[in-house]
Amino acid sequence: MKKPKHYKDQPEDYSLAAFAGREAFLKAALEAVAHRFELDGVSFYEYEEKTSLLRLVLKLERGVIFEHEENSIPDPDSSAYEALKNLKPVSFRGVAGYFAAVPFKLDYSGVSRQKSSSVSTGLVRLERYARKKRFSPSECSAAMTYIGEFLRNYYKAEFFSLNKKYSRNIEAITELTEVFAGSLRVRDSFRHILAGIQTYFGFDRVRLYLIDEKNRKLKGELSADIRGQIKSIAYEEIPLEPGAHRFADIVLGRSSGAFMERYKDCVLYLPLVVQGVTIGLLIVDNLLSQQRIAPEDLVLLKSFAGQIGLVLDNVRLFDKVEELSLYDELTRLPLRRYFNQRFQEEFYRAERFKQPLAIIWGDVDYFKEVNDTYGHQIGDKALKEMGRVILSNLRKIDFPCRYGGDEVIIMLPQATGVEALKLSQRLIEEISEVRIPVPFSKTRELKISMSLGISTFPQDAASQEKLLEKADDALYWVKSHCRGHAALYAESAAAGQSEAERAGGVVVPGSKGKKTDSGEKYNVND
Amino acid sequence: MLIWLLSDSDSSKHLAFSETLSGFCSHFTDIKAEFAVKTRHSLWESIFAHLRDSKRNPIADIIEIPHNWTALLAKLGLLSDLSRIFEDFNPLACPEFITREFGPGEGGTVFSAPWWMEAPALFYSPSALKAMGGNPGEHGLSWEEFSAVLEKLSIRRRAMGSDFYPLCFPASSGALGLNDVLPRVWSRGGGLFSQDLSRASFNKDETSAGIQDLLNLAVNGHARLFSPALFEGAGYFHEGAAFAFSPRDLCSGRGMGAPKSTLGMLPWPGYNPAQAPKVWQAGANAAGGPVNINNLAVFSGTADLKAAASLLKWLLKPERVGKFTAAFSVFPCHRAEFEERLENSRQGGLYRRIFTGASLRPNITVYPTAEMLLERVLWNMSLSVARRDYSNDDLTRELIIAQGEADYLLSLY
Repeated sequence: MKKPKHYKDQPEDYSLAAFAGREAFLKAALEAVAHRFELDGVSFYEYEEKTSLLRLVLKLERGVIFEHEENSIPDPDSSAYEALKNLKPVSFRGVAGYFAAVPFKLDYSGVSRQKSSSVSTGLVRLERYARKKRFSPSECSAAMTYIGEFLRNYYKAEFFSLNKKYSRNIEAITELTEVFAGSLRVRDSFRHILAGIQTYFGFDRVRLYLIDEKNRKLKGELSADIRGQIKSIAYEEIPLEPGAHRFADIVLGRSSGAFMERYKDCVLYLPLVVQGVTIGLLIVDNLLSQQRIAPEDLVLLKSFAGQIGLVLDNVRLFDKVEELSLYDELTRLPLRRYFNQRFQEEFYRAERFKQPLAIIWGDVDYFKEVNDTYGHQIGDKALKEMGRVILSNLRKIDFPCRYGGDEVIIMLPQATGVEALKLSQRLIEEISEVRIPVPFSKTRELKISMSLGISTFPQDAASQEKLLEKADDALYWVKSHCRGHAALYAESAAAGQSEAERAGGVVVPGSKGKKTDSGEKYNVND
Repeated sequence: MLIWLLSDSDSSKHLAFSETLSGFCSHFTDIKAEFAVKTRHSLWESIFAHLRDSKRNPIADIIEIPHNWTALLAKLGLLSDLSRIFEDFNPLACPEFITREFGPGEGGTVFSAPWWMEAPALFYSPSALKAMGGNPGEHGLSWEEFSAVLEKLSIRRRAMGSDFYPLCFPASSGALGLNDVLPRVWSRGGGLFSQDLSRASFNKDETSAGIQDLLNLAVNGHARLFSPALFEGAGYFHEGAAFAFSPRDLCSGRGMGAPKSTLGMLPWPGYNPAQAPKVWQAGANAAGGPVNINNLAVFSGTADLKAAASLLKWLLKPERVGKFTAAFSVFPCHRAEFEERLENSRQGGLYRRIFTGASLRPNITVYPTAEMLLERVLWNMSLSVARRDYSNDDLTRELIIAQGEADYLLSLY
């Protein structure tokens, strides 16, 4: 047996390996025992009293250390049984040579904190080939003492393994709490939470579902795999009804059945509860690897579930507040402040990349009269319909806003005047088809129309302010010449120029004079 | 550089590998290489531990894997494409039944190289068989004939008050495993998955019956599960055992404590290759049999790809594979070496028939997990048998649950 270079003969020297963890310690222990007693083989077995199973953990044979799956149930008349029962070494002879079973029993309840695993029992089997000397009683006794010395360090190895784990858990708690606390936006939060869990726990999969109370559904949000790749599971929608799906049953607090019992080792369902109300479900699983979720991970995750629920609730509230501050509740269109911010960004982009940008400015024709005649409720309905029609006709990159009263502005990045005009005509057409019921009136329904003015960058203006101004001028021209239509600034300016020339002066859009809707007619279907 | 090797029942394989590696290290003095031996379970755990936390749990540069783990590990991004690592790599140098099943994938990718293989067979003591009136024909014993002989041997054992069991499983971990039951399950037309691999079939009657056949051998006292014989130094194939199911050539006598000169070899009793899910038959009447293949793969994140490629080349060199595999009585996956081994083996003719009708496990993503699910069922049932409280109903219930899990996994991966 070749002696390892870095250790001396004494167990305390080998016990340094305990600092590297249990596995390193066991290897060092087997090498030391084999060297000390001139063995051809030595094996470390753990005994599980509940099942009476003797399991091989690690083996050293002819200088090679290896793991192997070997499980046996000792017979009552066997050497192993005798050694375990009396906690005394037993020597015996087998086909392959001479053997000694040296028992050990360790109580490390002070370290593990788990009552179930506080006592560890097992055997170290020493082996010599048949042509060598048998194990004498004194040698067995010496082996028991020597191994006993070693195994006292098992306590140390266990301690360091657990200590490492605890440190890791504390690290996880600290960092995940920071991640959760720093998450304010819904989409980012979901990602951060899933990525955080995968970084510190590393499950085969983590999935997040949230409850859509309005539609009584459990909706999939995101899923993260073992490699940290995150993808949307928005396609998953589960009716929140008893028996509809096992996830629904869990959220509704119903029994999960025998199938779930089998799952519980490698799947963990964590309902996310805030102030007694379940808002979602976090599911972690090790189904692919079939690895048991460690009890300490389970406890840690359960405590995180409360935090995660709180974070999700907070970010949803934040989202709601943000929506209220940025969006008009009536029309669902962004407000002027939000528009100004986006307009600045898009205008800069258009300038830098020399791309076109169009602005449509519009309002509802005769809106003041609608309000005065039918009341603000009907006026609000008209604005709501206008918002709906606008939102349903825009591209993803277009950005509308309620600029104030019945006035709206639509920003169309990368759009020319012709394209903006086409969109405007479509909007006008759809708005003209809107019918608003008017109760308690001879008038059964109200028909509305919109006028729209269009300006384009870079043709009509070189600055944001000028571009808005030109769109407003074009709208003014439409209002004064052909309500319910749209006009490009360039065309309206040219038309204004001709009119002025015909009238003997120079009037162009921009020199508005007085603009009013009052006293003009509006369309009502009688 | 680190190599993870799969464990074996004794140290023959590890010592042979150690010798091969020493040769490599003395040839390539600038490369330091060492190896660690892991069980299938601990290898699996180490791989997933790496996926969970690669910094704390580094993975080996070269890994020995069961061939049907390749698809999963490649999908998880853990394996290097061998066709890119070394130019002269020729996966077609393997016996045809391997290349047909595990040839280059899409775009010529090869994520693992077949290294060695073994074929389970039945080894027997001719004198014990003769005494019980057993008479194996050209194709061996039928399952019924085999069971009848075992029954006679067990009756004699009980009459003599002897403590030997007529059948043993030398490669077993103590419990019955998938390797032990699969030949019988396949013979009956069962399997882990349907023929199109779209559904799990754990609870199919044929699968369940195949498992029951093996469990019943222990229930009826013909074999002992969790035998203490090995701990007590009796060896796997201890005196008195008349039969052994073994994937290793016990007649060649290396390892497993087999009394080589006195043993005979037969194909798996009642094995019907036509029923097996994946069969390549060269001849219409080939006896056939299940074949387990172990491959070598290079970790995709290895720090020194060049060194890993050099070692892989070294390990896969035909004559080296030949010598290595002979050390622990398995067969090389290199075609010429394989042929030579068959020529020189006492049981070469029978092995040729088995390999000619080789049945291989499919290499699909979910297969390793499905095997693990079934292994767990077998472990639980083996413990029940040892505790003497086994019932077929328990097996059915366990299989239904495991099938549900496997089906769910199929829908996910």
